[in-house]
Amino acid sequence: MNDALFAQLSTLGSSLALLFGITLLWRRSLSAYISAFRWQSAALSALLVAIGYLGDDPELYFVAIFFAALKVIALPYYLTRMEKQLGGERESQPYVNVATSLILSGLLVLLAYAVTRPLVIVSTLPTRGGLPLAVGLIFVGLFVVVTRKKALTQIVGFLVLENGIALLAALATFGIPLIVELGVFLDVLMGFLVMQVFVYHIHGTFESIDVDQLSELRY
Amino acid sequence: MEFLLQLMLGAYVVGAAGSLLGGDARWGQGLAALGATLGAGATLALGAVALLSSATLTLTLPGVLPLVGVSLRVDGLSAFFLVVVGLVGMAAGIYGYGYAAAYVGRYSLRRLGLLLNLLLWSLSLLVLADNALIFLLVWEVMSLSAYLLVLTESDQPGTVRAGNWYLSMTHAGFAALLGMFLMLSGGDLSTSFQAMREQTGGLSPLLRDIIFVLALIGFGAKAGIVPLHIWLPMAHPVAPSHVSALMSGLVIKTGVYGLVRVALDLLGGGPVWWGGTILALGAISALLGVLYALMEHDLKRLLAYHSVENIGIILIGVGAGLVFQRYGLMTLAALGLIGGLYHTINHATFKGLLFLGAGSVLHATHTRNMEDMGGLIKPMPWTAAFFLIGAAAISALPPLNGFASEWLVFQSLLGSAQIPVPEIAVFMPVAVGMLALTSGLAAACFVKAFGITFLAIPRSHEAAHAHEAPLSMRLGMGILAVVCVALGLAPAWVTPLLGRALTGLGGLPDTQTAFTLGVFLHAPDGFGRMSPLLTGLGLLVLLVAIPLLMRLLRVNQRLRMGDSWGCGRIGQTPRMEYTATAFAEPLRRVFAELYRPSKELTIDFHPESRYFVQSIAYKSEISPLFERWFYEPLLALIQRLARLVRRLQAGSLHLYLAYVVVVLVILLLSARWYS
Repeated sequence: MNDALFAQLSTLGSSLALLFGITLLWRRSLSAYISAFRWQSAALSALLVAIGYLGDDPELYFVAIFFAALKVIALPYYLTRMEKQLGGERESQPYVNVATSLILSGLLVLLAYAVTRPLVIVSTLPTRGGLPLAVGLIFVGLFVVVTRKKALTQIVGFLVLENGIALLAALATFGIPLIVELGVFLDVLMGFLVMQVFVYHIHGTFESIDVDQLSELRY
Repeated sequence: MEFLLQLMLGAYVVGAAGSLLGGDARWGQGLAALGATLGAGATLALGAVALLSSATLTLTLPGVLPLVGVSLRVDGLSAFFLVVVGLVGMAAGIYGYGYAAAYVGRYSLRRLGLLLNLLLWSLSLLVLADNALIFLLVWEVMSLSAYLLVLTESDQPGTVRAGNWYLSMTHAGFAALLGMFLMLSGGDLSTSFQAMREQTGGLSPLLRDIIFVLALIGFGAKAGIVPLHIWLPMAHPVAPSHVSALMSGLVIKTGVYGLVRVALDLLGGGPVWWGGTILALGAISALLGVLYALMEHDLKRLLAYHSVENIGIILIGVGAGLVFQRYGLMTLAALGLIGGLYHTINHATFKGLLFLGAGSVLHATHTRNMEDMGGLIKPMPWTAAFFLIGAAAISALPPLNGFASEWLVFQSLLGSAQIPVPEIAVFMPVAVGMLALTSGLAAACFVKAFGITFLAIPRSHEAAHAHEAPLSMRLGMGILAVVCVALGLAPAWVTPLLGRALTGLGGLPDTQTAFTLGVFLHAPDGFGRMSPLLTGLGLLVLLVAIPLLMRLLRVNQRLRMGDSWGCGRIGQTPRMEYTATAFAEPLRRVFAELYRPSKELTIDFHPESRYFVQSIAYKSEISPLFERWFYEPLLALIQRLARLVRRLQAGSLHLYLAYVVVVLVILLLSARWYS
């Protein structure tokens, strides 16, 4: 009974995370990106709590709290502030249009199912149903980073990718040790701060945060 | 022995730490020199003890490096190379104390002392390595520390370029070595050499051939065999002189060590073309090295080209040894290899001595150009005497050490009549001819090097105001000079020791009985015999005793003092002197096909009349054959390929990110495919 609930909950949480990830692909305004990321992180925090409770690992509660503090509150706050300062940038012309993006991300999720199949078959974890979804989320994050032009959307894509990794870690191991998780959070925070600095510099240099302009730097 | 090993490694570390902490301070430099000298002394002692007692020492320290462990082994061959490293290292360490003093305030002494100790540490450890991983690690430490040492005077023109050449050559060689060891060990680099020795018999002949060729390229690039010699004349001159001595005396010898270790010991010898190739490359290197040396007027570049020549002579011995070994002529094989090893230690000592001597000259005159020297024998008698000993030794004049080893190599080549295959038996005498020509040209070259540098009257202000080197530098040179003489006088005692070092490698028998210990050194099979002791005695009588006797008997009392090479002229200026270029001119004409010299003569006439000449400018260069026909096309090819690769670098960030995704997907799919 417990296991079945666990399995359903983890699949549900992973699906929600993936869904919010895919939401990025059809939205254009940056604020929509940020709110999708916030919702996704919230879903992941809840999932972490669920895994902590059902998998009997109280450490995960702390992880979930940190996770929520960082990714539901702090990073979206900074992102929103940046968006305001940089002034209403929109992801108006991505490299790949919305329809194609959705089809491709569907294919990427299928690919995720294909590559994780051997793992899912041998696994006895109750959370195994979510593994392909986590890998799919990683792919979708990468896809966003590759195909979107604005530096801010790329940052969100990167954060989604990071969420995918965190989800995979949580599903596959029921949470890595707290100290490692804390290290990862710190990494994400630092990475984010560095990227923030870069975005301001890009904006200052090119009057735009369109990273396409960086190709001018080629020697 | 273990104590000596610990002392050796510890002393280098102390020297490096002392230099790092002390910096420019005298105590720091003293500690750096002391560490290097003491460490090299311990290296020498360790090698000597192991060689004399024929003991082998195996040492495994599993905890030091995770996963692999450190395994070291002292056997005959490594003991011999330890002796070589110790001898030259000690002299260079002492010499460096005085030499580096001139660097205070100009270059970082902290770095110099640290790297010098690191280089000696790696050289000593390299020959002890008993598995491929340790060998490659230490090899890389050696290459990189030597590279950084070359860059010491990095503000001088040409230094960085020389460093780049050295680095790329040594890394190309490293790639070959890595591939070679991977094949040799079947993919696991931590396989011990002993296990390799047992496995190699079972490898397919093709694989063994590939291993040999890779070893030849990898070790050849380090040793500087033609056409991979190109970095020697660039990198050796620009390094500080005691580092040049180490590089020329020791670093390039590690190539010889590696080649002998892999081809003879680990692979146990191979088909006849292995030895034949080494022999042929050796003969070509020897001849081309000396020919290019003749055209050099930069004292240290000249010495660097002679390193190519001497590596050639060493490889002639090694190659002949491998050929004989293939035909089961074990005594002759041992003779050739002994000749090669003997020349290895001889070259290390006399070339070390010559580089230290050149360093003293550079120290005093601040130039490497021989055309600006001259007359240095008067202000620097010690340096001149030491340089003369080195020059005579490298010219293979008896009773000095160069003669003994070249004689052994000759003897081994002359035994080629015993090879049952006529083609090879015919080929070997060609090598004899090339070796003989090489020796003659080397003598001519050192008449030039010594004569132009030290004799006649000074050609420049700096040369006229030269000063003798400080005590530490003279001491460093003195050690090597004494060793040169000793090694030359005692071949009958040295040769059996070398035979002992080789015993057992590639099935070589114990050869000690083949050489009779005594005043005469007999080649096996009664082919020839020589006694440098008696030759030396004869020379002593001829050059010292007879003139002394004549003096005592007052035979010839009419003595007049005059200018050297005065020719009865009244006023004599340096411009009347014979120059290095002029000395080499006849040979430049004889070998014009090789040098392809280009001449440029510009005469400025007086505007009033063509019968009055204002100035004449004469410029002559030889065409660098290998640069032009081998390296320039190669570099062009690499640049073309690099331009192709640059298409990947389109400048679009998204494309780069897409590469990441594509690679990730491919990796995941391939993992899926294979599972």
